Amino acid sequence: MSTASLIAGARAAGRTLLNEVEAKRLLAEAGIPVAEAHLARTREEAERLAEAIGYPIVLKIISDDIPHKSDVGGVQLNLRDREAVGAAYDRILQNVRTRRPDARIAGVSVQRQAPPGIEVIVGLTTDPQFGPVVMFGLGGVLVEVLQDVAFRVVPLTARDAREMIREVKGFALLQGYRGAPPADLTALESLLLKVSELAQRHPEIAELDLNPVFAYPNGAVAVDARVVLTANAGGEP
Amino acid sequence: MSDPRAALERALNPRTVAVVGDKRASGYMWLRNLSTFTGKVYSVQVDPRDIEGIQALGVPNYLSLREIPDEIDYVVCAVPRQVAPRVLEDAAAKGVAGVGMFTSGFAETGEELGRQLQETVAGIARQAGIALIGPNCMGVYNPRLGLRFSAEQPAGVSGPVGVISQSGTHAINISLVAAAHGVYLSKAISIGNAAVLDVPDYLDYLGRDPDTTVIAMYVEGVRDGRRFRDVLREVAQRKPVVLWKGGQTEAGTRATLSHTASLTSSHAVWQALARQANCISVDSLDELIDVLQLLLRAKPSAGRRLALLAQTGGQSVVLTDAFAKVGMEVPELTAESYARLAEFFNIIGGSYRNPLDMAGTVNQHPEHLDRIFAIIDADPHIDAIVMELSALFMARRWLQHPEQFADLVERLERHRARSAKPFLTVLHPGHLEAEVASLRPRLQERGIPVLPSFERAARALARVTAYQRARAELEAAPA
Repeated sequence: MSTASLIAGARAAGRTLLNEVEAKRLLAEAGIPVAEAHLARTREEAERLAEAIGYPIVLKIISDDIPHKSDVGGVQLNLRDREAVGAAYDRILQNVRTRRPDARIAGVSVQRQAPPGIEVIVGLTTDPQFGPVVMFGLGGVLVEVLQDVAFRVVPLTARDAREMIREVKGFALLQGYRGAPPADLTALESLLLKVSELAQRHPEIAELDLNPVFAYPNGAVAVDARVVLTANAGGEP
Repeated sequence: MSDPRAALERALNPRTVAVVGDKRASGYMWLRNLSTFTGKVYSVQVDPRDIEGIQALGVPNYLSLREIPDEIDYVVCAVPRQVAPRVLEDAAAKGVAGVGMFTSGFAETGEELGRQLQETVAGIARQAGIALIGPNCMGVYNPRLGLRFSAEQPAGVSGPVGVISQSGTHAINISLVAAAHGVYLSKAISIGNAAVLDVPDYLDYLGRDPDTTVIAMYVEGVRDGRRFRDVLREVAQRKPVVLWKGGQTEAGTRATLSHTASLTSSHAVWQALARQANCISVDSLDELIDVLQLLLRAKPSAGRRLALLAQTGGQSVVLTDAFAKVGMEVPELTAESYARLAEFFNIIGGSYRNPLDMAGTVNQHPEHLDRIFAIIDADPHIDAIVMELSALFMARRWLQHPEQFADLVERLERHRARSAKPFLTVLHPGHLEAEVASLRPRLQERGIPVLPSFERAARALARVTAYQRARAELEAAPA
């Protein structure tokens, strides 16, 4: 499904939020590396997808009403075989139905569990004056508590991408802290530039959250993603 | 319908000016501001009590703009707000190029009537192609033409700095404090509510203005952020742009809304934009003036390695701290430099490692200063030179023996002219403010940057060096 039809489809359904599966499809089409996710609506479907993708598997609840999936027991990690996937599928639905009985559930996303990397986050917001702005930060506590993030206004140049990664205080963590191998900075720079290009091409994207992105010694991959569309179909405010 | 932007050239360089609504109650402030104007000044006033005083000033008065028997380039509008639309209509009929609207009480009030009135005057200006500046502003300062918006502003002496300010007070302050440091302006535009022309329009104009080589801005917010972003990126590639952003905090942002009714973005986004455009961000009037001094008087260099020349040991330590804290380097000199310094440097109570502690070497032998300059200038480890001038130990002596100060200025100026490396001095007034105030201009008028503290000098040099660095990078590999 193309980016334009994904966006049109969500609009037709009266939604401005693209779920993880849709958001990742849109990102993949823009050349942004993602841990591809597939939507399962039944336990059997989840098992079949897992067999096709290969293990270990992660399952996550897909619901517009649940932004923080793990808070409601909506994420199951490290599932190593068909039996584990099936049981985890049932457990997720049971957790969510108990804790958020009102939530509308689209299904469960099935994806290969990405090997651990250094967690970073990449975001896109729309500034009231300057339009789309790309954000970069190190994942987890550094972003949430210390607000250690860098911004650049779209369109980004290669120099902007290079500088904003080096601007955050936690940059040393990406350079190979305590003997860990350094992260692939070129891959992160390229990811930031692709987000900038996507924002330029699709002004109807109001917000984008790649959280987390795993940075590896070779490459980087968006493990979770969320896209919010502008309220009006025009895009440009 | 012509473009108000096209009228800016004539509005900012007028041959004739009319003041509408100047009055006794304000001490005829606008006509007094214009007493230095090199072109013709006319007045429009209908109140007989005010007309008397206007005629006493020797300014011909008319009852309407339309009656003036001359072409009018620029109008200062100082009438009550409800009369403003009529003045604009008269200006349109008269073929006026620009109106600087001092009148306030428009969108900045937040009330419906003010907003409507602003829309009315803006509509007339757009229709007639009038460069409406403001409302709620001081308008245009063109020192070369003696066109002023404060009677304190210098006339007849102009310089290379073009100023755009969303605040009238800051526009006046920048022009006056800059002049006190011997830094002069090409033009200053106080833009107020920017109802018709906004920051990008003025920035674009100054970017093309041959009299302007450096641009300084005080901005609280802009209407068309995307256009500002594009114009800023374009202009900053050709001329240094210094940006002082007002409303950096949440509370400050709230204040800008009632000041000029500006939309606001987070300070972080403004900073990002400034970095991307490679314009120099400053946080205060002081920093703005310091940066201007360096841009205009110090040679450009992207290098961070400094030679620090201090007068005493204690100062050499804190001078070094101040510059190291902002990311500058204070490296060792070359072996050759050390060998040459060792030939004459007095190391009893002094030192030449870098920082140099040199009072004991140069006080008795001023010619040693020339040798120090020559050695450091030739040293490949050094990109820029900072020198402490000690008011504490020297100011009284310099005033008692003016020939000694003249000799020092001479040596500093010779070095500055010869060297390709940035050179700046720091002269902290200490307890001798009046004495330093009389000495400082004598350095500045010879093109030597004088900063008032180590910390201010360090911040300004760090900002200008970062600018030159990014500029060199961008020129080497255009993004």
